[in-house]
Amino acid sequence: MTRSLKLGGQIVALVAVAGLLALLVWRLTHQSHPPKIGGPAPNFSLKRIDGSGKLDLASLRGKPVVINFWASWCVPCKGEAKLLEQAWNQYRSQGVVFVGVDYHDVASDARTFLSHHGVTYPTVQDGSGMVGDRYGLTGVPETYFVDRGGRLVGSHIIGTITNQVSAFHDGIKAALDQ
Amino acid sequence: MILRVLAVAAAALALAGPAAACAQPKTSLSFLEGQIMCPTCHTTLDMSEAPAAQQIKAQIAKRIAQCWTARQIENELVANFGQGILAAPPHKGFDLLAWWLPIGGVLAGAALLAVGVWRWSRTRPPEDGPVDTEMDARIDELLAGMD
Repeated sequence: MTRSLKLGGQIVALVAVAGLLALLVWRLTHQSHPPKIGGPAPNFSLKRIDGSGKLDLASLRGKPVVINFWASWCVPCKGEAKLLEQAWNQYRSQGVVFVGVDYHDVASDARTFLSHHGVTYPTVQDGSGMVGDRYGLTGVPETYFVDRGGRLVGSHIIGTITNQVSAFHDGIKAALDQ
Repeated sequence: MILRVLAVAAAALALAGPAAACAQPKTSLSFLEGQIMCPTCHTTLDMSEAPAAQQIKAQIAKRIAQCWTARQIENELVANFGQGILAAPPHKGFDLLAWWLPIGGVLAGAALLAVGVWRWSRTRPPEDGPVDTEMDARIDELLAGMD
């Protein structure tokens, strides 16, 4: 009886250790790595904040896409909002689609931001920040460029585009050229 | 006449309602600051001064002023930010495991310890071996010689 109890305890301990090890391995192998330029842009399907329904990045395949991560609490985002809207109006005739991704934000504040800054391009809500994490976001604002084939092109812009205007336009051109 | 007075009173109440702050708030900012996480800095709101945390604090204060309960505010934040906004997992479904596993672990450890102590306390010292009569007799002899 004592021997079987001891054996049972040892088996339970072994199973627990094996389980913890498996969890560690799973965690290490499933860590998200930032996407590489030239590689596929991580797909997302997020709720639209500027209207109803969802927006699926895959549905924009065949069009160059500019993805801008922002938040209403982010001060530099206010500074670049006008420039983004101007660029959207400049490039939309060439088939470029701008998508704003509202990161870790209160939805009502985000809507106020959009209305205050006159943003008209589609904007989706990434409240949990899951999509931002998949893009390896280091903060907001950050901007990515996706070509017609769904690949990331150009160099992604960390920080506001107001200080990197030429890199921003180069990114859009890279998305258009591919 | 009475109907007119009632209509005016109802209109006054309807207009005064939204403007007036909640007379008896159902929760407090200091309580919720310890229950809600700052999504960008991964600490509770009371430990953070990050812009995102400030925004959520302002949102909570607004809802408290509208007489919302802590549960209603938490639900709204979960709908906006996901479950990760809560500092502790909810007491339901699969998340219950997060509450019961540590308690179960402590209880199992205590039970194991109790069994171990009980078994140890019942262990008797090894009994003496068989008496060597020859040696016994020699010792007696030596002792008698010392007298």
